[in-house]
Amino acid sequence: MSDKKGNNDGGFMKFLYNSDTGEVLGRTGMSWLKIIVFYIIFYAGLAAFFGLMLYIFYQTLDINKPKYQLGDSLIGSNPGVGFRPQPDQDKNVDSTLIWFKRGDRDDFKFWSEQLKSYVEEARKTAGKNCDFGADKASDKEACQVIVDEKKFGNCTVATDFGYKDGSPCVLIKLNRIYGWKPEPFGPARFSEAEFKKAIDDKANSDAKFPKILKTAIEKKLQEVNTEAAKEDVAKSVWINCDGENPADRENMGKISYAPMQAIQSFYFPFMKQPNYVSPFIMVQFESVTRGVLINIECKAYAKNIFPDRASRTGSVHFELMVE
Amino acid sequence: MGKKKDVASLKGDIEITEHTLPLDDLCRQLRTCPLKGLSHAWAKVMSEKEGPNRLTPPKTTPQWVIFIRNVFSYFGILLWIGAILCFIAYAIQASSSETASKDNLWLGLVLTIVVLITGIFSFYQESKSSAIMESFKDLVPQYARVIREGQRLTLKAEEVTIGDLVEVQLGDRIPADIRIVEAKSFKVDNSSLTGESEAQSRGPDCTNENPLETKNLAFFSTNAVEGTAKGIVIRIGDNTVMGRIAGLVSGLDSGETPIAKEIAHFIHIITVVAFGLALALLAAAIALRYHWLDGVIFFIGIIVAWVPEGLLATVTVCLTLTAKRMAKKNCLVKNLEAVETLGSTSAICSDKTGTLTQNRMTVSHLWVEGGIVDAKLNDDCTSVGVAGYNKRDGYQKLVRIAALCSTAEFKGGQDSSVPVMKRDVAGDASEAAILKFVELAEGSAAKIRERFPKICEIPFNSSDKFQLSIHANNMTDKGCHLLVMKGAPERILERCSTIMTNQGEVAMNDKALDAFHDAYLELGSLGERVLGFCDLPLPSCDYPIGYNFNSEEPNFPLTELRFVGLISMLDPPRPTVPDAVAKCRSAGVRVIMVTGDHPITAKAIAKSVGIISPENETIEDIANRLGVPLSEVSPESASAAVVHGGELKELSETELDNVLRNYSEIVFARTSPQQKLQIVEALQKQGAIVAVTGDGVNDSPALKKADIGVAMGITGSDVSKQAADMILLDDNFSTIVAGVEEGRLIFDNLKKSIAYTLTSKIPEVSPFLFFILFDIPLALGSVTILCIDLGTDMVPAISLAYEKSESDIMLRSPRDPKRDRLVNERLISVAYGQVGMIQAVAGFFVYFIIMAENGFLPQDLYGIRPRWESRAVNDLEDSYGQEWTYVARKKLEYTCHTAFFVAIVIVQWADVIICKTRRLSLWDQGMGNWVLNFGLVFETAVAAFLSYTPGMDVALRMQPLKFVWWLPPLPFAVLIMLYDEVRRWLIRRQPGGWVEMETYY
Repeated sequence: MSDKKGNNDGGFMKFLYNSDTGEVLGRTGMSWLKIIVFYIIFYAGLAAFFGLMLYIFYQTLDINKPKYQLGDSLIGSNPGVGFRPQPDQDKNVDSTLIWFKRGDRDDFKFWSEQLKSYVEEARKTAGKNCDFGADKASDKEACQVIVDEKKFGNCTVATDFGYKDGSPCVLIKLNRIYGWKPEPFGPARFSEAEFKKAIDDKANSDAKFPKILKTAIEKKLQEVNTEAAKEDVAKSVWINCDGENPADRENMGKISYAPMQAIQSFYFPFMKQPNYVSPFIMVQFESVTRGVLINIECKAYAKNIFPDRASRTGSVHFELMVE
Repeated sequence: MGKKKDVASLKGDIEITEHTLPLDDLCRQLRTCPLKGLSHAWAKVMSEKEGPNRLTPPKTTPQWVIFIRNVFSYFGILLWIGAILCFIAYAIQASSSETASKDNLWLGLVLTIVVLITGIFSFYQESKSSAIMESFKDLVPQYARVIREGQRLTLKAEEVTIGDLVEVQLGDRIPADIRIVEAKSFKVDNSSLTGESEAQSRGPDCTNENPLETKNLAFFSTNAVEGTAKGIVIRIGDNTVMGRIAGLVSGLDSGETPIAKEIAHFIHIITVVAFGLALALLAAAIALRYHWLDGVIFFIGIIVAWVPEGLLATVTVCLTLTAKRMAKKNCLVKNLEAVETLGSTSAICSDKTGTLTQNRMTVSHLWVEGGIVDAKLNDDCTSVGVAGYNKRDGYQKLVRIAALCSTAEFKGGQDSSVPVMKRDVAGDASEAAILKFVELAEGSAAKIRERFPKICEIPFNSSDKFQLSIHANNMTDKGCHLLVMKGAPERILERCSTIMTNQGEVAMNDKALDAFHDAYLELGSLGERVLGFCDLPLPSCDYPIGYNFNSEEPNFPLTELRFVGLISMLDPPRPTVPDAVAKCRSAGVRVIMVTGDHPITAKAIAKSVGIISPENETIEDIANRLGVPLSEVSPESASAAVVHGGELKELSETELDNVLRNYSEIVFARTSPQQKLQIVEALQKQGAIVAVTGDGVNDSPALKKADIGVAMGITGSDVSKQAADMILLDDNFSTIVAGVEEGRLIFDNLKKSIAYTLTSKIPEVSPFLFFILFDIPLALGSVTILCIDLGTDMVPAISLAYEKSESDIMLRSPRDPKRDRLVNERLISVAYGQVGMIQAVAGFFVYFIIMAENGFLPQDLYGIRPRWESRAVNDLEDSYGQEWTYVARKKLEYTCHTAFFVAIVIVQWADVIICKTRRLSLWDQGMGNWVLNFGLVFETAVAAFLSYTPGMDVALRMQPLKFVWWLPPLPFAVLIMLYDEVRRWLIRRQPGGWVEMETYY
């Protein structure tokens, strides 16, 4: 009883180090050693068990294809859309604003360099040469992404992707989803007439479907000759960018797409082919009103893409400000 | 300081001397007159000086203060801070962006509701037990009849003042403490004050120094049950005996209950850890350059995860369940926490009458024809066996006298189907006992009385100490009249010249006298009340039929009678008490008898129930055995003691301390209620947790002061019931012992329940730490944590209260409140350090599986958090090159939350099963706890409901899981069971070994 009291009287300092019993924090050295050794063994054992479990689990995984795909996976089968260049991911991860000073290389370099490295990366990787109606991506081999500068107009390294002149190019690409293929509007079995009718219906029934896109699709259909090529055109993912609000639309000015207004169908599906690079197109904002922040939304169109502004599926949002 | 002193002075014995003064002196002092009372003028002066005659209500804390205190107590503060931070965080988020999630708002609301409900619940508990003073108010009389200047006035009781001459009659409450100046067969019922149920006569003579015993005082708020009286008021209001008790009760601090201390200790630990961890994390977050708002949100997250929100509710429900179980065993618990207090009790101070005994005088022995006969009640309680004596002449005569010389009668309206022992009797306790004995032994006392009609009687009076009656004799023609007498044996003997022996009636001789004295002594030493009986057939020649017997001036013989025998009675112990006392002994609980009764009676009962065990002797016993004077026996040689209240008064505090320390078995006899308080305090000073029984108002201070006051449901006064923490509905001591068992069980089970609840804290907190430290997506959200704490964990935690005890908990000592804590470092070590860690690993295992199966391999999760959390990133790449939109990956994250939540539910199955036992193998403990089994099903059903119900993705962000995702935690559940089974096997195999030292909680 009195012993006990003696201990209590020492208070906290005595708890830290009790010179009578040699206890540190209420335990002797031996006692500390035993409990520490116990916990080391315990956690080592637990880690080993966890490792074993994880090892067993890894045996069920295929490193080349996700266990669950498309609708089975939580990624779903309704891809989102991405854009480049992005604001600094380390400092400003929550921003989607492309903001630069025209003509000031030090300032716009940050943006144009991103596009440059993206294009360079795509150039480096080899792949099949694909075209409408010709070769397509297979399980093992992807198509070479078009990097021919001639097809990209002013969106090239040489012109600093338009940033120098204040008419910036923005790269638009579709989110990769393993095994996902775009489906053309209209019935599953392709016929040009039915496809055109479907586009017509879509344009008439869906107010959000841009008329300009209908014209672009029809124009492209006429450009290609073979039925297979037409089918591939129809299967492509068509892209349309626009200002979010009337004011944005006014300030956005004229835009152009290169090499065309769609991501060509032969790049799909993504099957984790070696050196796969996402196909992309460039959207150039040719006459942007300066000093104004412009909200831009780019949407992707295919029968199996359902653009939704809130969830950002089938669409992407960014802001543009040119000084 | 002043208040403390007050209480100390109240604790002393009552000091009243007015009753010893000559009446004239007293009247002069009080300027009053025993005939005319006070003058109006002086009454006014006194009234102004002394104030109104009423009990001052104690200062009460306003209800709202109590409410606030409850709402902001315990975890309250912690949860409030969390809730307020949630609201602030939400406000900031809402003002900065339109699409801010309402998470923090909901979280804040839930926290607020939880803390309010818990607060209201404890407020309700507290307000229920604070009605003590209300009960005193019921005792106070409303009006009083006062004589002032010779005029009779009816005044409000409040206006009565010192010196007033008051009149009382049957049915009145005494309006103040009064000294009787005039009485006509006046009797008072002091039971509300002293618990003595027999009415006591009061008259103008001072018969005892002790104010409570003297006949010329009547006390405030007691009842007049017979006659009328006039008295002079000597004390009013708070100064009356009752007022002092009321003051003492309200002034005494009953202190925190042991369980409240334990919970406070536990909450202290949790709070310190929660704040420490949260602040460390806040600092880490700021050092890691998180936005301050993120830091605050982490802080909230940690607090929400660390505080066991449901635990207080669990503890309360567990205690309530036990309280209900105890109520079924006739043990009504008023204050929930008292449930456990009873379990930690290390000393019980018990009353004798009614608690240890049946409070029913019963004939136990006869002495007839020179032999002591046991009057044994047969098992079926319908007859009495007297071992072959029933044909003896002496016995026949004794029974005849017993039947005749009595005024007791069975009350009318009682069916003959009511067992004799249970019938109500009009008359005092001894006469009732004898009447019942005759009824059982001879069939019918009424028949005997019919045969011998009563002609004349002299009632008992305290100076002559006998009672006599004369009966006509219809049976024999030898003598027409029979004189019968009973009374104090020695007084009866004095009046006898012959005695019945086994040779028939003989003249009184030395041999017979010796036999009488031996028998009288022997019966007396058994603590029995002994009465002597004698008779005398009156010769018909001298006393013919129609003789006019005169009881005022006896015209018949009162001496030269024939001594027939003795009848001795006692209040027998309740049959279950010896077992209960033995149980207490094996459970390390001291039983101390504290009674107002005579030491001999007290000791006899103490011996017969085992409070003084057969092998132990008091110093008196030793002196007797050795034949030496008391002073030559050293006190150390005895281990039992009978302490007389008179001796107790002389003892200093340290001496009393020594007595309590040196003797293991103690009986306090002839004690006053104030001394009871003294004994309780002395025991508490030694560190004991004391239970006290009591029934009178004057017991209430001791009841309040005790760690657990136990009032008697049948005989107890309202005030004592209010002051107590627990009420024995059957007044039975064994019920207390049953309560002790329940109390111990619930303490063990609360430990298990807390161990269970705390374990899941580790898997709840670790996702947050990993989120911050390793930048991986959050594995478990705050909402899901609340779903566990307030949802799935609740029923299993409560079900542990139904767990049966592992071993005989009544074979171990009471817990040492200083060492055996509810929550100790071993419990923390096992719950947090071992089982909790396994659970956390199980949760992360599922998390990694779901992430990997959807595309994010574990190694790629590291550092992904900033981009994962950014709405701006619409194309986050996974390990397979797929790109995820913000919404898709959040859905994945919430699926992980749900799966982590389900994983916790599954490993908590294992946890609740291992928590069933602290030492035994599960094999021996069994799965017989069906509430727990239900809990397992219930929590699983809740988890499935939350996961699969449509709309839950919006409400709680729970996502439906693929069935296979329920399986990964199973190996970990098995691991937990195996690990703990091995741990317990080691504890059993090496008692006192390292495993027990470090992990037995």
